Amino acid sequence: MLHEITFTVNGDPYTLAVYSQQTLLKVLREKLGLTGTKIGCENGECGACTVLWDGEPVNSCLVLAVEANGHAIETVEGMSVGGELHPLQKAFIEHNAVQCGFCTPGMLMSAKSLLARNPQPTELEVREALVGNLCRCTGYVRIVDAVLDVAKNQ
Amino acid sequence: MRQFDYYQPKNFAEAFELLLLPGKVVMPLAGTTDIIPMAREERIAPDVVVDIKSLPGMREIKETEDGLLIGAAVRMSELASSPLVREYAAVLAEGAATVGHVQVRNRATLGGNMCTASPAGDTFPALLVLEAEALLRSVDGERSVPVSEFFQGPRRTALKKGELLVGVMLPKLAGAQGHYAKLSRRKAADLTLVGVAALAVPAGKGYDWRLALGAVAPTPVRVPEAEKILAQGYDATAIEKAALAAHAACSPLDDIRSSAEYRREMVVNITQRVIGQVIEKLV
Repeated sequence: MLHEITFTVNGDPYTLAVYSQQTLLKVLREKLGLTGTKIGCENGECGACTVLWDGEPVNSCLVLAVEANGHAIETVEGMSVGGELHPLQKAFIEHNAVQCGFCTPGMLMSAKSLLARNPQPTELEVREALVGNLCRCTGYVRIVDAVLDVAKNQ
Repeated sequence: MRQFDYYQPKNFAEAFELLLLPGKVVMPLAGTTDIIPMAREERIAPDVVVDIKSLPGMREIKETEDGLLIGAAVRMSELASSPLVREYAAVLAEGAATVGHVQVRNRATLGGNMCTASPAGDTFPALLVLEAEALLRSVDGERSVPVSEFFQGPRRTALKKGELLVGVMLPKLAGAQGHYAKLSRRKAADLTLVGVAALAVPAGKGYDWRLALGAVAPTPVRVPEAEKILAQGYDATAIEKAALAAHAACSPLDDIRSSAEYRREMVVNITQRVIGQVIEKLV
């Protein structure tokens, strides 16, 4: 069944036709070409597909695209403004919080949502906010350091 | 993923009409954290899915004369942070806060968790000790079922065809203190090996105790033997006896996550810890 949905992605309005069974993840990547959001486990375990839904992190692999009608979605592509990287992106680079990079978009989304609701998190709060984002390279320490650094300097 | 048709009814009449579509496999959905992976793995094959989140009352947390009414589509993150739930049913807020991880809690709902009815559901021991009532609605009207009767086995509930879980009613328990804790291999995003909820409800000069276990039997279970022991007093010896009663009441499985023996031993430890936490809140 086809549905017409209207929603925003990174502030840009879209009206699209989506099938009932299509996930938001597939629509972002395949219809809008926003491949920064990664396909990982497709089971809600790895967090590589994390996007912000009205500001809250969700696994886009576990959401039907049709449900996004009327909502505001943010992806990693929306983080930099006018070519200027977001402070979190800069901090990830400075702290070498990226190796293969596959988990990074999801990590950034979860971290951005955390700092929006809690600008001065403790280390434990950072770890709790990122618990649904798996990284197989860095060991997490540099990622946590990068987020804390942004909190300290904002 | 196999094709299905999605509907988002705005009223119950429309929802029940969809649920009773002849010749179709129709499934209600809420947070989709269970239904999408299951559909992808072809463990379920719905023809029609009915999004119940827009039905009246489904997303509300409301104080009534009888208690606290929680709509079936209230999300785990909302349960965990709701001032009303924290005031009247902190043990349920604690259970909800341990489900999955942030992204899952922002989508998964109390009603979805209950209808999935995994023996390891983290909100169920709390619902049992709170003696919550499940509110079920169909074209024939509404009925309420004690949560202890709602769960009938692994992934089996009291819901009949065409019936929807619309919420739970939590009776108000003045001065009650509770706690939920669980054990899992990882600290998050893992299935629970042992979950324990305890609640002390003021009664006369002392307390009535309620204790429930999750993930160690085909359904979440109360442990009346332990409750009787604690009602007589809750010194160290009583706590140990109560924990041993919990050990005797459980029937865990061996699986990839843990042996049954380990789960049973950990029931003793977690039960003692949880009772201790409740006692700290009493004094």
